[in-house]
Amino acid sequence: MNDEATSSADRDDDTTDFGFTRVDREAKASMVRGVFDSVASRYDLMNDLMSGGVHRLWKRYTIELSAARSGQTILDIAGGTGDLAARFSRLVGPEGKVILADINAAMLEVGRDRLIDKGATGNIEVVQADAQALPFKNNSVDCITIAFGLRNVTDKALALRSMLRVLRPGGRLLVLEFSKPTSALLGKVYDQYSFQILPAMGRLIAQDADSYRYLAESIRKHPDQETLLGMMEDAGFGECRYHNMTGGIVALHQGFKP
Amino acid sequence: MTQHDPALLSAALAAAEQALNQAVTLAPYSHQELDAVSGTLLGIEITTVDLTVYIEIVTDTEVRLMAHCERDTDTFVRGTLEDFAALATSYDPAATLINSGIELEGSSTSLITLQQVIARMEIDWEAPLVELLGDVVGHQIAEGLRRFLRWGEGARTSLKRQVSEYLQEEGGLTPPKAELEHFYDAVQSVAMRTERAQSQVEKLLAKAAARETPQ
Repeated sequence: MNDEATSSADRDDDTTDFGFTRVDREAKASMVRGVFDSVASRYDLMNDLMSGGVHRLWKRYTIELSAARSGQTILDIAGGTGDLAARFSRLVGPEGKVILADINAAMLEVGRDRLIDKGATGNIEVVQADAQALPFKNNSVDCITIAFGLRNVTDKALALRSMLRVLRPGGRLLVLEFSKPTSALLGKVYDQYSFQILPAMGRLIAQDADSYRYLAESIRKHPDQETLLGMMEDAGFGECRYHNMTGGIVALHQGFKP
Repeated sequence: MTQHDPALLSAALAAAEQALNQAVTLAPYSHQELDAVSGTLLGIEITTVDLTVYIEIVTDTEVRLMAHCERDTDTFVRGTLEDFAALATSYDPAATLINSGIELEGSSTSLITLQQVIARMEIDWEAPLVELLGDVVGHQIAEGLRRFLRWGEGARTSLKRQVSEYLQEEGGLTPPKAELEHFYDAVQSVAMRTERAQSQVEKLLAKAAARETPQ
């Protein structure tokens, strides 16, 4: 059984995962914030390091699967430096709206600056928000994306329910997240890369090996493809499915609000 | 759950899209042609590899390539890789489209326009590949692609020449081009002489009729 399912079951122990360490549930948010405060200015570089630059392709497919069109409202949770939001801004046009949300103020600041630099303004709102308690009206959003953010949320089931509440009936949720490689050989290579090479690169480039080690550990503790699929169904999403990308290193889950 | 890894397909489409849009930007002649079909969405299903790609002509300078699209297409074509390769390199895409095994739903205008715009471009694949994959890998792939395209063009020309030679020399099934042109010239000449003779005969008949008519 995946760890996420376990952590939901034994919630009364008041602890949760922070990478491979068990920490107090209340403390996790501030610890994650610490990691992202540390890496915010080099977030894009970090994504490039962690994915070998392929994260742009994973995000490109996420945008295609969103089927975003003119006039829609899109909520990008854990939107980081705003690369998805910038693309959505063009697709929804002046009649539509993109909400870039992140719990971390430092990330939002970088994202806002980046969007202004790209000329993506006018139809974008930047909101500091907790995915577990989204500050938006019921049935107000056509599509929600959360790219490489769900694994950092303390209570993922609560966050999924919050997303369902905000979505319009027929609206879709797309969760792009690191997952479990489908081949054992690829899994071993990926482990070596994540736990040996990635922290070393973090030390060299960002002088911050601990944050990068946390990121690698948090990926391993994140629910695998089938577990996350079950969690989405449990939260109330319908027509749930996922697409493995790059051998399952990343999976894109999709679900609709009935 | 999908048959093709979306990341691989996205890589190919991202590189192709970037190269195409750069080439379109540098080819002002294409803007008017693309403007006439802007806003249209094409779907291309390649049955050989069970792959569907969508092409949206966004504006006169922007084309978008997608692996997934939920909108209704204006044009949808289905065929084998060989059919599409023939169409892509055809000098007369309308004729190729009619004579090939490609199934077409909707209007052919945007497909033919796009084929003509692309056929006239000399796309530099290296820049987008380098941007996408870095200097070393991008350059190697671009070099391989250039070699493949040169080989493909050479093979196509060579095959065309050899098939033509076989049909004429070995099979004796078709006449050589020069002989055919000479035949057409001769036919043309006979047609012109016949017309002149007919005209002379008509004049003579008119004169004879005038003489026989009582004053």
